[in-house]
Amino acid sequence: MDPRPPNQICVTIPSNMEWLSVVDKVVEGIVEPMELSEDEINALAISVVEAGTNAIQHGNNHDETLPVEFCFQVDEDVITIAVRDRGTGFDVEKVLSADPTEPENILAPRGRGIFIMRSLMDDVSFRMVEGEGCWAILTKARRAAAEAQG
Amino acid sequence: MKVAKRMEGDIAVITLSGKLMGGPDTDSIRDIIRECLEGDSKKILMDLGDVSWVNSTGLGILIASHVTVTNAGGMLKLCRVAKRINQIFMVTKLHTVFETFEAEEEALASYTA
Repeated sequence: MDPRPPNQICVTIPSNMEWLSVVDKVVEGIVEPMELSEDEINALAISVVEAGTNAIQHGNNHDETLPVEFCFQVDEDVITIAVRDRGTGFDVEKVLSADPTEPENILAPRGRGIFIMRSLMDDVSFRMVEGEGCWAILTKARRAAAEAQG
Repeated sequence: MKVAKRMEGDIAVITLSGKLMGGPDTDSIRDIIRECLEGDSKKILMDLGDVSWVNSTGLGILIASHVTVTNAGGMLKLCRVAKRINQIFMVTKLHTVFETFEAEEEALASYTA
């Protein structure tokens, strides 16, 4: 997905966790007209909040002068959310190699954000663009549309 | 995030309300857990009924609380966990770590069962 599609709803917040509740409300508003189950709505909201948490904590290092941008695109068959921070990115493979559900990691206080997103969304990818920051791209198929297509 | 504590017999009930997402929440919850343990209240029930959502940083606070209480020989249980938070517990398998109850009464009774 192009991180900046033309038909999108974008919200930008400062790098402060308190503002994630605004993003949560935006998700709620966007999915309201869709025929989604409570679990699907929760999956989207949880994943977007996690992407925002990562962006604030790790991407922007809690620097409130740096923005976190959320772009939502609802197509007929898929919902795509792109979340951008102003960080330099991270070693995706290293993060993905640690399973937080394994017994040796289950009591670790950190390291679950990307795992949660990947568990609840259909696809999660990351794109580092020099001078722009790091994009997390989250996609989820719309169940009703998928079922109608058989 | 608001944090309040009351005693039900020898069980400390910590009620959280708002959004559990790290930052100042970490200190206030850690302090109240410490206060419980220093006051010899090793049976601790955390009521999450008014917690609207939690992120992975908030999960870390719950896990750290669990570890602190367990290492001190105590028991930390959770009650009234919202469906959205339960969904995160299931995905992360933290439902295998936290003992959770739908109602406070049921949770309180479990300490003597």
